[in-house]
Amino acid sequence: MSTALATRSPAPASRSRARRAPGTRGRRTLYWIATHALALALAIMFVAPLFFIALTALMTDQQALTSELWPKTWNWDNFVTIFTGSPLLRWIGNTMLYAGLGTAFMLLSSIPVAYALARFRFPGRRLAFLAVIAMMMLPPQVVAVPVYLIWARAELTGTLWPLILPMLLGDAFSIFLLRQFLLTIPKDYTDAARVDGCSDFTTLARVILPMARPAIAAVALFQFFYCWNDYYGPLLYASTNLDNWTLSIGLASFKALHSVQWNLTMAATLLVMAPVIIVFFLAQRVFIEGVTLTGVKG
Amino acid sequence: MSAVLAAPRARRREGLRALVWLSPWLVGFAVFFAYPLVATVYFSFHRYDLFTLEFIGLDNYRYLLTDERALISIGNTLWLVAFMVPAQLLFSLGLAQLVTRLKAGAGFFRTVFYLPSLIPTVAGTVSFVFLLNPATGPVNQFLELVGITGPDWFGDSDWSKPSLTLLGLWGAGNTMVIFLAALLDVPKHLYEAAALDGAGAWRQFRSITLPTISPVLMFSAVTGVIYALQYFTQAMIAARVASGSTDSPGSAFVPGYPEMSTLTLPQWLFHAGFRDYSMGYACVLALLLFAASMAFTLILLRRFRAFDREVS
Amino acid sequence: MNRRFLTFAVAAVAATALTACTAGKDGAPALGSQPKASGSAAAALPAATIELWHGFTADSEVKAFEDAVAGFRSKFPQITVKLTKGVQDDQITQAVRGGSAPDVAASFTTDNVAQWCRSGVFQDLTPVIEQDGIDLSVLPAASRSYTEFDGKRCTMPMLADAYGLYYNKALMKGEQPPKTLSELTELAKKLTVRDADGTIKVAGFIPSVQYYENSPSHLGPMVGAKWYNEDGTSAIGSDPAWKKLLTWQKELIDWYGHDKLDRFRKGLGDEWSAEHPFHKGKVAMVLDGEWRNAMIANDAEDLDYGTAPLPVADDRPELYGSGFTAGTVIGVPKGAKHPQHAWELVKYLTTDTRGLVTLSNALRNVPTTKAAMESPDLKKDANFQTFLDIFAHPKTSTLPSNVNSVFNQEAFTTFIAEWEKGSVKDLDAGLAGVDKRIDDKLKLSGG
Repeated sequence: MSTALATRSPAPASRSRARRAPGTRGRRTLYWIATHALALALAIMFVAPLFFIALTALMTDQQALTSELWPKTWNWDNFVTIFTGSPLLRWIGNTMLYAGLGTAFMLLSSIPVAYALARFRFPGRRLAFLAVIAMMMLPPQVVAVPVYLIWARAELTGTLWPLILPMLLGDAFSIFLLRQFLLTIPKDYTDAARVDGCSDFTTLARVILPMARPAIAAVALFQFFYCWNDYYGPLLYASTNLDNWTLSIGLASFKALHSVQWNLTMAATLLVMAPVIIVFFLAQRVFIEGVTLTGVKG
Repeated sequence: MSAVLAAPRARRREGLRALVWLSPWLVGFAVFFAYPLVATVYFSFHRYDLFTLEFIGLDNYRYLLTDERALISIGNTLWLVAFMVPAQLLFSLGLAQLVTRLKAGAGFFRTVFYLPSLIPTVAGTVSFVFLLNPATGPVNQFLELVGITGPDWFGDSDWSKPSLTLLGLWGAGNTMVIFLAALLDVPKHLYEAAALDGAGAWRQFRSITLPTISPVLMFSAVTGVIYALQYFTQAMIAARVASGSTDSPGSAFVPGYPEMSTLTLPQWLFHAGFRDYSMGYACVLALLLFAASMAFTLILLRRFRAFDREVS
Repeated sequence: MNRRFLTFAVAAVAATALTACTAGKDGAPALGSQPKASGSAAAALPAATIELWHGFTADSEVKAFEDAVAGFRSKFPQITVKLTKGVQDDQITQAVRGGSAPDVAASFTTDNVAQWCRSGVFQDLTPVIEQDGIDLSVLPAASRSYTEFDGKRCTMPMLADAYGLYYNKALMKGEQPPKTLSELTELAKKLTVRDADGTIKVAGFIPSVQYYENSPSHLGPMVGAKWYNEDGTSAIGSDPAWKKLLTWQKELIDWYGHDKLDRFRKGLGDEWSAEHPFHKGKVAMVLDGEWRNAMIANDAEDLDYGTAPLPVADDRPELYGSGFTAGTVIGVPKGAKHPQHAWELVKYLTTDTRGLVTLSNALRNVPTTKAAMESPDLKKDANFQTFLDIFAHPKTSTLPSNVNSVFNQEAFTTFIAEWEKGSVKDLDAGLAGVDKRIDDKLKLSGG
């Protein structure tokens, strides 16, 4: 079961298949060229948008409005302008607060729940798990009105707290994902700990947590990026208060604030993308394994 | 102590322990799931603007039948379910198949195809509106080079949803990674046996690949549909950025540009509830969305139940 | 066990949440609920910091607004005013309903006034207006009407906008501005420059409602069209003037060719940038507000242009000289922490001649009080005077307040866009459909 988390390079599989494929050497070479050419063409199309965004981000205001694709002059100070021209630092700070606290709270609350769902046998266990799935599948807009009223009554609308505080009560998707992973840990380990006289808590802390590190890293990253990218939540709660705007809200209004300065809009866009891309390259394995875990277990 | 007596007591104790461990989440479930659902039904029979509450019976439901916008938004949401979701699935599957066949640089290509799916939604959408800008965007300029006059993409009601689908395909890497893992789990000897029997590539795919990966395909289809039912941010941002003129200060932003073609049900719900403050009516739309997503969730639950038995 | 707990939890939460159904905070006592303190107001009010939200974004506008507020500060040194720029109506409404209102809020549009007055998002100013003995007759009738609803005066007009015709003298080829719709059509055709294949290079006049300021509310006064009946239901289908307007408009669009015009329109520069097609000489005549004068002065000072009232229906010559007016409104939201301070600021910004003239001179908007309009300090030239005259014209009208104003205008505009495209076969049936949508919505919102 735990092989689900081992990174597997796709290469060996195809190699063994190709060896069996009937046909001459010539046909095989042709096939090799065809597949790689196709992949290369697609790869270029996947990367091209980022390339053009970067080029536009470096143009002058005037050039960005034209159909030219290559910057005549390289205006690196566009990246300075976006900081002086809009409260970008504040947006970054708010986004970090939302994503950072949201992730920390989610981990704090979701790990114990996932542990209980995966390890304890109790009546209603199945029901509880079904409830997690139901919550996970519920479009947030369905309950938007009553939930908004709760926060309005708590006088917390206009802030990001309505998005952060619920994370203390567990996040369905993370619980689901962690539970799926914890089920793959052989029961022998926890039984051994139990024999050694460990309580539930120490079993979780000493045995489960170290083993579940990859899954925890995955849900933490997913949660962080979910918050980082979230537009609907901040739009609903924080957009009324300019002091509490996040990057996604700011970026959505950026073009309006800077009356169609595509170069600055693209510079800001790059800036929003950059951390995600950097973290991805640092933690690529965690991502791919996490995604695999969500899907394959179904 | 006999085993007969011990079992129920142990189970009860375990139940109590579970309750303690689950309690924060149970509170969350009650406050953010169970209560809101009940309250949504309650408000759907009322006129409510956050200040005054008035019982109006079925008026909100009646209005739904005459609300052209709601019908358009439902139509658009169904369009996404019917076209965008299958397009994304097929494309992801194709990409995954392609990557399994690569002998050189498979890891590199996997990374390249996966990366765009991580790009923040707002940033990705803003970029696409720029790239597909009819007058100055690079895409239409390249089309011009090969002699094609490109469409108005996000500015044309016939092209706006296909443009959003293109954006969706750019972010298909997530599903591709899932399919890739599933494809690699298909036992190799099955292909070998089939090849010996003289089965061609298509036969092998139909009779071996598809049945083996079908649970994963199913899972991705259902989550894809649920995702399509919630489709909000991309449509909202694309309409906002593409429509320029509605950005003018003071004027109210109405979603759906151009000509309501990107108005989805969640957007109309949001608009009714948090722009118009017809909160009772928003609750009717919410219940509609709920019914649709529940129908699909039930399909998913059935799959999970089978899986759950397997594990326990 | 957990099911029972759940039932309990749901019941408990539901009980607390459903019983108290009014969100939003009342904050300080409402305006006028306390007797006025004796002595001069300036001395009576304790020190405080109040928050004002406004929609201006351009640096010059923001500065002008700060200058106007500076006049208030010299009068009330103990009151600090914190200004927040770039706020839209949605944000004001949501903030008040969510309980985090500012003390004063200003909006560029009058679209939400009815909804704000009826629901109490903005406080009724009538008691304090009476207390302070303010004579509202210094405001023109149109401005008085767009700032109140159903007997509740919850906002005051700060500056007004009037709409007229701008024409590019170089492109006019010596022609005089049109006075009737048929003259406009004739001239638009004459001044349009097209390629052999029909691609538009310069448009005489763009009649599409999707073009910048050409909203139905701005076009309606040209034919004297009526929006609502006495009871608030839609009059769009029953007033033949609308049909006349739409028929005129469609005829001109078809002359250009809908797709050709659409392509041309979408290729034009942004309305709020220096790239505006009128600045760039891409359109000969445009319908626009008086503020365009200031923008031209900023971005295209060499442009040789003139202004005139909008042309009117051929059979309604008495309308010539009038136009559409609306303007910036300002008021005290529910939940303001310092409502009395807020009112003093609103009063200053809307009735003090010096404050209004300062703002008008900087923003080139029409000042709303008669005293300010006649003030010798008010900067005016012939092009600006046109708009002062339109504003003061007795037949000048505004869009009547309606709780669904945004929805109604939007429903109508959407319909007209379809009509322009040619997808509406039966105009009467289509307009009746617009009526039905507006009336259904009115019923839903309890009007």
